[in-house]
Amino acid sequence: MVKSIRQRPLAWAAPLGLGLAGCAGDTSILDPAGPAARDVALVWWGMLAFFTLVFVALVVLWLYTFRGGSRPERSAEDERRIGRHWILGGGILLPGVTIVVLLAWGVPAGQHMLPLPIGKPPMVIEVVGHQWWWEVRYPDAEGGEVVTANQLVMPVGEPVDFHVTGADVIHAFWIPRLGGKIDMIPGRINRIRLEAEVPGVFGAQCAEFCGAQHANMRLHVEAMPREEVEAWLAARRPEPAPTPEHAEAREHFREHCADCHRVAGVSEGDVGPDLSDIGVRATLGAGVMAMQEGAIADWLRHHQAYKPGNRMPAHDDIDAETLEAIGAWLETLQP
Amino acid sequence: MSETSTPRRDPEELHRTLDEVWANPRGFRALTVVNHTTLGLRFMITGLVFFLIGGVLAMLIRAQLALPDQDFLSPDLYNQVMTMHGTVMMFLFAIPMLEGLAIYMVPKMIGARDLVCPRLTAFGYFCYLFGGIIIISSLLLEIAPESGWFLYTPLSSSEFSPGPGSDFWLLGVTFVEISAMAAGVELVVGILRTRTQGMSLTRMPLFVWYILVMAFMIVMGFPPLILASILLELERAVGMPFFVVEAGGDPVLWQHLFWLFGHPDVYIIFLPAAGIVSTLIPVFAGRPIVGYSWVVAAVILTGFVSFGLWVHHMFTVGIPQLAQTFFSAASMLVAIPTAIQIFAWLATLWLGKPRMTLPMLWILGFLIIFVIGGLTGVMLALVPFNWQVHDTHFVVAHLHYVVVGGMLFPLVAGAYYWMPLLSGRLPSERLGRWGFWLTFLGFNLTFLVMHWTGLLGMPRRVYTYDTTMGWDLFNLISSVGGFILSVGIAMVIVDFALHFRFGRRSPRNPWHADTLEWANTMPPTNYNLVSLPAVHSRHPLWDDPDLPRSTSAGEHGLAGTTFGRREMWGSDPLTGQVREVVHVPTNSWWPVSAAAALAVVCVSLLARVYVVAGLATLVAVVVLLYWSWENGAHPRASASDEVAPGDPPLHSRTLDGPGRWGMGIGLLANGALFLSLLFGWFYLWTVSPQWQMPDASPLSLPLLLAGGVVLTAAALWLERLVRGLRRGHDRGLAFGLYGTAALGALQLVLLVVLLRQAELAPTASAHDAVVTVALIYGLIHSGLATVLVLLQGRRVGYGYVSARLPYEPLVVVQLWRYHLGVYWVLVAAFWLLPTLMGGSA
Amino acid sequence: MMARLPLTHPLHLVIGMILWSLWFVAFYGGLSVACAVAPPDPLQGAFTAINAGLALLTLATVGLLAWLAWRAWQAARAARGRARYLARLSAGLYIFAAIGALYMGLPVVALSPCV
Repeated sequence: MVKSIRQRPLAWAAPLGLGLAGCAGDTSILDPAGPAARDVALVWWGMLAFFTLVFVALVVLWLYTFRGGSRPERSAEDERRIGRHWILGGGILLPGVTIVVLLAWGVPAGQHMLPLPIGKPPMVIEVVGHQWWWEVRYPDAEGGEVVTANQLVMPVGEPVDFHVTGADVIHAFWIPRLGGKIDMIPGRINRIRLEAEVPGVFGAQCAEFCGAQHANMRLHVEAMPREEVEAWLAARRPEPAPTPEHAEAREHFREHCADCHRVAGVSEGDVGPDLSDIGVRATLGAGVMAMQEGAIADWLRHHQAYKPGNRMPAHDDIDAETLEAIGAWLETLQP
Repeated sequence: MSETSTPRRDPEELHRTLDEVWANPRGFRALTVVNHTTLGLRFMITGLVFFLIGGVLAMLIRAQLALPDQDFLSPDLYNQVMTMHGTVMMFLFAIPMLEGLAIYMVPKMIGARDLVCPRLTAFGYFCYLFGGIIIISSLLLEIAPESGWFLYTPLSSSEFSPGPGSDFWLLGVTFVEISAMAAGVELVVGILRTRTQGMSLTRMPLFVWYILVMAFMIVMGFPPLILASILLELERAVGMPFFVVEAGGDPVLWQHLFWLFGHPDVYIIFLPAAGIVSTLIPVFAGRPIVGYSWVVAAVILTGFVSFGLWVHHMFTVGIPQLAQTFFSAASMLVAIPTAIQIFAWLATLWLGKPRMTLPMLWILGFLIIFVIGGLTGVMLALVPFNWQVHDTHFVVAHLHYVVVGGMLFPLVAGAYYWMPLLSGRLPSERLGRWGFWLTFLGFNLTFLVMHWTGLLGMPRRVYTYDTTMGWDLFNLISSVGGFILSVGIAMVIVDFALHFRFGRRSPRNPWHADTLEWANTMPPTNYNLVSLPAVHSRHPLWDDPDLPRSTSAGEHGLAGTTFGRREMWGSDPLTGQVREVVHVPTNSWWPVSAAAALAVVCVSLLARVYVVAGLATLVAVVVLLYWSWENGAHPRASASDEVAPGDPPLHSRTLDGPGRWGMGIGLLANGALFLSLLFGWFYLWTVSPQWQMPDASPLSLPLLLAGGVVLTAAALWLERLVRGLRRGHDRGLAFGLYGTAALGALQLVLLVVLLRQAELAPTASAHDAVVTVALIYGLIHSGLATVLVLLQGRRVGYGYVSARLPYEPLVVVQLWRYHLGVYWVLVAAFWLLPTLMGGSA
Repeated sequence: MMARLPLTHPLHLVIGMILWSLWFVAFYGGLSVACAVAPPDPLQGAFTAINAGLALLTLATVGLLAWLAWRAWQAARAARGRARYLARLSAGLYIFAAIGALYMGLPVVALSPCV
């Protein structure tokens, strides 16, 4: 194994310094960063408090029945009455009231996540789950659709509608700090509304088991002010003019990679992730390793060891220099 | 029949005669044993072996997840291990283990000598054994299923799981489920029809109520998964696209069918365990349970409500919020019957003087763990919270709290409680307590912490995780806890094993229990009781502590055996008044042969050698028919129809033996399968994204109507014959039966023509695929109904069926009624409605 | 029906929940079909024909179950022994079925049906 090469210090440490502000990592649902997640966290703490009370009371009562000593003599009628009180009070009244209150108080917590019509239609981001990477599309971007992969940029402080589907098997879209998850099912489009209240980087990972590399299907989510999102999208719109250097690497890419991958202005493959801005992405292989100098070439050589079973063929037939060259060129790809 | 009329005979002599009739053969003929005591034990021992295998798989999982970035298992192998852990624990351990317990215990508790269909017990056991071996073999060959134990499509379909793993799961699990269905049917019939004199429904031990409801739930709950497995296997093997969107199918249909089974399954596992709790608590509190009727009501309610919750496993698939909230409310509703039971137990302890014995320690562990599991279950029922924690380790923790707390802990409590009955010895207190505390602490260490891991965002079924996620410590704690848990379990098993040799000798009824199983000798004989006592309350052994002696002395009903038959009482389902003497079949090669033939079918389907599969199916059918032939008045089933003076008639000479009930319950299961198919049809029609309904039905109306008319005529004819038999005459019986068979055959031919003429393209469209399956379902029933009525005709010739022996046509006529109903429903659902609603989506 | 199947018959132990199951299927099936055929505008909220229909269905079912519970209770008071026992148990199960249907039907007053 070439495990030692693997370094991903940057993968999840948030560049903006906010991602790790929470108590434990950036996928904790107890560290909400949006209204939906906050409501759910509140519901959780409420349920936890009340249910702990119920649980402790029950166990104490139960243990108390085993105390030694004599019991009062009771008539059969008394016993029947006491038994009836226990069952009516604990068996019916307690759970009955609890579930009515819980339903009335808990269900509205999900309201934020429903794509109900609101005054100003929210921004739409389409996310498609693939084995094992994410395709992210901005259909309404000014001047034409923008496509990227394994990274998602969203505006902060406003609701965003995510329209999700699966390209092959069922995946699930989930940004724990923003709110609940929704399945990405081939043939349907599911919708969920999420909002980030603070800017930052949030972890996200496929939540529905989707095969061999389910564990390595992570999405880098970044919330930033609307203007920055617009700028980010605008930068990705024009097709970059090919630079004279790396011409040879581009040719190698056309030969070996273009059938599957798209690079704006170079190739139109749509089987694997779009690589047009790969040079500035935070991670490689949907969160398998951090992006840094030489990382792409390393990935190209050893990706079947880093992410066994991934759909990209092993590149044993391509010599190391070629892979180095392709990697070096891909690292230059920036919007 | 009355207790005093039995002439006094020497107890030794009684025992000898009974033993002769009920003895188990040895050597390789042990394969022919049908006795419920032996088979119950075989079920439980086999279940224990699978439990150990599942436990080792769990340890592999915890070893892999103990540290981040581990390479202990490859992703492929991890996914196989994780899939098989779930599959083995749910399908090969939990359900069969509890079935085994029920098979062993129920006849003893209701004062019967065996279950009513002992050969079915044996058949069920071998289906379980062979199915289990087939499933496990895939793991040894490293081609085990690897798409998670709920095998969601399209991940499990041939495109994304090209290997044979999914096939092993689909065929193996279906095979094992046949065994569950067999147990379900005969437990229902046994409980309803063979309770001893005077054991009315209201005097039944609570454990038996739980098992009754569980058995009904198996009968209604397993067919959806059997159907789903058949459909997915057809998709994988033949290419019928039930779950493929482009062809009009829908992967979500699999989820609906799976969870229509899956959720009731949780309660199928929980109810018998709760039955153990409801048995032990009164015994150790030294008083009757408080609120017997409340508990019965709660169990019945659980049985129903648990069929209405399945969508809470699917809250994230994008179902509208109103429907989700509806299911959310249903899921919370089930808290009420559960709470009723918990407080009935608490009140019993409160009003009694409980003893903290070893079994009660496990019951205490059950309470703590199960209540936590139940409370997190209520949390999960809440839709918005569910959206957050669904498919995380929070759910993994919750489900282990429910199934380990709700099933394993009561099971061990029950094992300690009933162990003296099996061995005549008492368990050790010291090793047992160590085992309990290690198991209890290890379990909570593993899974309490896991809730937190889930809240930190760790999804389930990941083979690795990154150290920056902050999950390291909690996973390590879970893994350490897991290994402590295994040591505890190992200690319990060692304790069981040792006690057979070193345990103190136990007196009869050591716990001072109230139920009839403790009237047995320890260990029990093959025939249970020498004579079958009448009961006058819910607590026969508290009423009459002398029962162990007096039953052995032959002072009660059906003492010994006079006619060389295996006999027991058949009684009224409501009052428990004795109505018949039921003579049950003896040891036989048929069950093991039929199961072996089905195993060959299963293996050859796996190997895709369809010729062999076809031949083996034929062999299985022939074996099953031969098996059915040696029944009723066949000399091998019962040479004479004599009964002792004063005893009621043999069931096979009446109009209403247990077989009629067996057929009825079997048809209930069949109906559940058919309803699942209809659900699939209407579901795809209304919901599937790319469903295509042809403009005009491909089915020819004239042929449909002709088939229907012929079938109706045949069914009416059979009804007339049966009415005649009920009135005591059999004029033209053989001719009528043959005539019915001929009409049945004609209808079969018409159906074949219909199927051919429709020119369906079952591999191109989900619509045609479903129609094909529906027609084949009809075809199979035509064939079966025809063959059975033909055999009845033959039996008239042999003198097995007549005005004096009217029983069997009454059994067969139920199948015909069912088939008739199903046929017209098929016409309505597959021709009438589509024609009325018009084509397109 | 009562003449042929007196309320002291054990079948009444399950009839309540069977009626509940039928209501369940009609509710869920009706909702799904209605949403597939004619989904209303989400802006209408809970004030749609679908909600009204489901509410009526639920109320009718609850009414029937409550009436049966009351009848079973009456029958229990008139009967003795096992018959009385069974009728009382049936009454309890009818009540649970009624309350269960009411509780599960509650969301129709608040939620938009097809979103």
